[in-house]
Amino acid sequence: MNTRRDFVKQLGLASATLPFISNLSVFGSPSSGKARKQRLVVMFSPNGTVPWDFWPDEEGSDFELKRILQPMAEFKDRTLIMKGVCDKLKGDGDRHMRGMGCMLTGIELFPGNIQGGSDTPAGWASGISIDQELKNFLQANDQTRTRFGSLEFGVMVPDRADTWTRMSYTGANKPIAPIDNPYQMFKKLYGQMKDRQHLTSILDDVHEDLQRLSKVIGKEDRQLLQEHAQFVRAMEQQLQAGDTSELNHVVPQLSAGVQKENDNIPQITKMQMDLLVNSFVNDFARTATFQITNSVGQPKMSWLGIDESHHTLSHEPDSNKDAHEQLTKINTWYCEQLAYLTKRLAETPEPGGDGSLLDNTLILWSNELGQGNNHTLDNIPFVMVGNGLDFEMGRSLKFPMVPHNRMLMSIAHGFGHHLETFGKPELCADGPLDLG
Amino acid sequence: MSVSEKPILLVLAIVSAPFSPAAADDATRQKGEMIFAEQCSGCHGAAGEGTADNYPNPLFGDKPTIDLAELISATMPEGETELCTGDDAVAVAEWMQSAFYSPKAQARIHPPQKRLSRLTVSQYRNCVADIVESFTSSSQPGDRRGLTARYYKSRRFRDKDKVIERVEPVVDFDFGAATPDAEKIPEAEEFSIRWEGSLIVAETGWYEFALKTENGGRLFVNDPRTALIDAWVKSGYDTEYRGSLFLLAGRIYPLRLEWFTFKEKTASVGLWWKPPHGFDQPIPARHLTPRTSTQLLVVNTPFPPDDRSDGYIRGTSVSPEWDEATTFAAIEVVDKLWPMLRRIVPGKDLEERSERLKQFCSTFATRAFRRPLSEHERNVYVDRQFETADTAEDAVRRCILAVLKSPRFLYREIRGENDSYTRASRLSFALVDSLPNADLLQAAEKGKLDSDKGVREQAIRLVNSYRGQIQLHRFLRVWLNLERLEDIAKDAQAFPHFTPDIAADLRVSLELLLDEAVSGDEDGFQTLLTSDETWVNDRMAAFYNIGLQQDAGAFGKVAFEPDLRAGIVSHPYLLSGLAYQRTSSPIHRGVFLSRGILGRALKPPPDSVAPLPPDLSPSLTTRERVGKQTSPAMCAGCHKMINSLGFALEEFDAVGRYRETEKDKQIDVSGHYRLRTGETAEFNGANELAGFLVQSQETHRSFARQLFHHMVQQPILAFGPQSIDELAQFFADHQLSMKKLMMEIACRAAEHEQP
Repeated sequence: MNTRRDFVKQLGLASATLPFISNLSVFGSPSSGKARKQRLVVMFSPNGTVPWDFWPDEEGSDFELKRILQPMAEFKDRTLIMKGVCDKLKGDGDRHMRGMGCMLTGIELFPGNIQGGSDTPAGWASGISIDQELKNFLQANDQTRTRFGSLEFGVMVPDRADTWTRMSYTGANKPIAPIDNPYQMFKKLYGQMKDRQHLTSILDDVHEDLQRLSKVIGKEDRQLLQEHAQFVRAMEQQLQAGDTSELNHVVPQLSAGVQKENDNIPQITKMQMDLLVNSFVNDFARTATFQITNSVGQPKMSWLGIDESHHTLSHEPDSNKDAHEQLTKINTWYCEQLAYLTKRLAETPEPGGDGSLLDNTLILWSNELGQGNNHTLDNIPFVMVGNGLDFEMGRSLKFPMVPHNRMLMSIAHGFGHHLETFGKPELCADGPLDLG
Repeated sequence: MSVSEKPILLVLAIVSAPFSPAAADDATRQKGEMIFAEQCSGCHGAAGEGTADNYPNPLFGDKPTIDLAELISATMPEGETELCTGDDAVAVAEWMQSAFYSPKAQARIHPPQKRLSRLTVSQYRNCVADIVESFTSSSQPGDRRGLTARYYKSRRFRDKDKVIERVEPVVDFDFGAATPDAEKIPEAEEFSIRWEGSLIVAETGWYEFALKTENGGRLFVNDPRTALIDAWVKSGYDTEYRGSLFLLAGRIYPLRLEWFTFKEKTASVGLWWKPPHGFDQPIPARHLTPRTSTQLLVVNTPFPPDDRSDGYIRGTSVSPEWDEATTFAAIEVVDKLWPMLRRIVPGKDLEERSERLKQFCSTFATRAFRRPLSEHERNVYVDRQFETADTAEDAVRRCILAVLKSPRFLYREIRGENDSYTRASRLSFALVDSLPNADLLQAAEKGKLDSDKGVREQAIRLVNSYRGQIQLHRFLRVWLNLERLEDIAKDAQAFPHFTPDIAADLRVSLELLLDEAVSGDEDGFQTLLTSDETWVNDRMAAFYNIGLQQDAGAFGKVAFEPDLRAGIVSHPYLLSGLAYQRTSSPIHRGVFLSRGILGRALKPPPDSVAPLPPDLSPSLTTRERVGKQTSPAMCAGCHKMINSLGFALEEFDAVGRYRETEKDKQIDVSGHYRLRTGETAEFNGANELAGFLVQSQETHRSFARQLFHHMVQQPILAFGPQSIDELAQFFADHQLSMKKLMMEIACRAAEHEQP
């Protein structure tokens, strides 16, 4: 089989044009590893859950799904529900901030100038998040390196950078802004390929015009144009050659003109999830985050007939049954999104491997709080889905109020990344949680 | 104005040549031709073209006959120098001059021609920025400096909390634990400030910005929506945040800084930058204007450098790297332009917008091609793209890519037309280094460029614009060869107080002199060469022992050793740049004066020679040491001229400080220069040297020739064999007005018929 480099050699092109090919190639250097792929997706929804409509009563593999988790019924045997896992980080910042900033980092926030409620002001998290830790781990190895390593999706994330809107960190004080515009994400994933298509379509015109002009110009100057025409022709040929080698790859179609508006949340969520699944098919990344709104998120789920904003509702006391009925509906809707993602992964065959994408992917559904009205950081509604890390799925687990750092360590160990600690070391004393 | 107050000291004497060759006649030249054939052609070839085995380099240059004769007499033929001396040497020199040696003879042998040229890199970037700017609005810097500051007594920029509004020159505040205004902002615990205006950029390059604060803030430069530096969240202990931008000279860019403090013990905020060639400093007021401006599209894709083998930048060659750069640049433009089009081309619905986008593409192509679209062009570059693409966005992207990859955009005058649109382009490229703006295209369309008067009217408008000033300023940097002088460092032992800050201050001081010369009217050139005032700040003043009465940090003009100094030749930046780390360098200074200012052609030394280290001859002055080293005949041919120019600046040491003695000997600042006419000018010290240079026809010729090449990027002799002399005469006849010379050059270039 011809590699691109061979092709360039055959054309006799200057080595200087090589970067052009690889720069414009979407599928620059897919990992060549034969080993089984493993992936992590962290899906986030805000403001805590409704505990009585969420946590199964039973423990173990024989359990009933409560209302909120009902959408996962089809995948119950591939689901792991983990009660008793708590965000035990203290220090600066209100609980929405700490819940968000420490959720994937397992470490305190820095002191700073961002204040919520009456707590002390705080800044960013003081360490790396688990998705980025694993990205670095996987990118360091030829067998598991991918084009992007990680992708950070968002849905309706406010246009401000603060502790409530960021959950992924490349390091202390280095939050990553999620991309919540599907067109921007498309551009990131497939933009270069579109550029190539556009270039291919216009270079022929340019070449023709060069020929045309060199006929009307003086002999000495003609040489310059002919030289130029050669370069254009060579690039055209490279682009065409590149295209044929990429016909097998899947480029999703996006519906046009979907604006960032509250009522478009369901559509944007679906577009973004489709892009996520496609990026796995093309092996663009092995870890991803999927952040729906933000900590203290205020979507109005008008499509469920709910006019009140989510965070406002979440402050209502347990005694307000109407509010909690609405909160249950809201959380059920989030779970439906989890179910959609699960279904898409389950339906999509693993390219070049056995089984489905879901067989090699672990989804962690997560939240910054346990419950909205008391702002507890205990019993964060953590749910795992999929068989990417060989955990024993299909169970309802109840832990004795353990720090969530241990769960983050379990995930790392599941990837073969045997960290001694992750985040705040004191919270990792008992090692990773045993998830089978 | 200081220049006119000071009489130009013509103490210098013009001394006639030691032996004056009889007016060259045919008989002399015939004799010279015979001797050359006999004694010289074996090595140098029959017509000085060189021989592969002996002396491969062709013989040409601009030495006067007398110098050439002396050189032949002293050094030729090699090993038998007694064979050709006196009148014989003069005859050979005469014949060489007329046959092949002189620039005139060379122009006859190889007639210079205009060549098809592509846009230079600088023109490419300017063109793209100007096309896009033509759809929004353009702004000039105006007269006021600084930024509009609005203070709020909360951390939100709410109108009801606004308590102060004023223009502030520089953003560099340390409020400590106090409030900036106890009455209007009662609580130091919480307040915020927003600074707004534009950044004035006079030099193309990468600018590194720094927001220095203990609190929170964000900086927007040339992008009102996405912050270049976002440090709104104070987190941990960082107090400095950085971001870089590539910016084009001659433009102003929207700038906004938002800052707040909240429950923090102390508050401070500084808006700093590191400009090209500069050092970290608060952005000076002269680079800030309270005027608002609109976002510009600046291409920062790297390009390979343009050809400069003829001494000036031109676009007469292409390479795969260049072609690739034009592709990446086009993609960059499309990516940056598409979001801007939301505002440039609004529309009620997709269909209406699609029609307007197509119209936009036609206009874009028209401005890029610098003339109305032919039917063929409209079909290929616009209609076809809209017919074949799936969506309007794809069509726009393809159309813009095609236009920017088109030879009709990338090359100058590719179709050989010579009409009013050609004149518009030539004027514009010459005067602002970019394509004609919408006004100029319209003038062309209305036939306003068909008369000499019409062309001149447009030239006046362009030359007086900010961009026109920048074009001249940019040339002055080339003329002074400033890029060679970057990174001036001095021996820390010899000059312990010459810090990088001082070096950067000197650069600013020189730039301010150039600014003054560029924005001054008639006497800018006089100012450059003979001004007895220097721009100085407090740090420079301390280093050079200048009494100074002005604010710390700011630059002001003072008479700095006015009896000793005059204009650029004694400006401490050039004196330090043209010197070694410990000692002065009369050779560097002399080369600068002879090649750069007087326009003499210098070839590299025949053998590379390491300078004689000062330590080897500790008793010699620099002048004595250099004289000794360059005394061999092989060196003296050029160094007689170089050294005796450079020696006139010997009373300034390696950092440009005045000194009376060196090695306990009185400094000798006598110098001289043999003109191309064979006469000799003599001068003592910088003041007399400058007086000679400013009135010398050789200076005027060299300046006019270099300016022409900078503006037109074609060989000047292709515009007529007398072009240089005519322009030099024009310059002298018009009180050395650089702007008038620019206009004259632009008009000549615009009117010139294709050969």
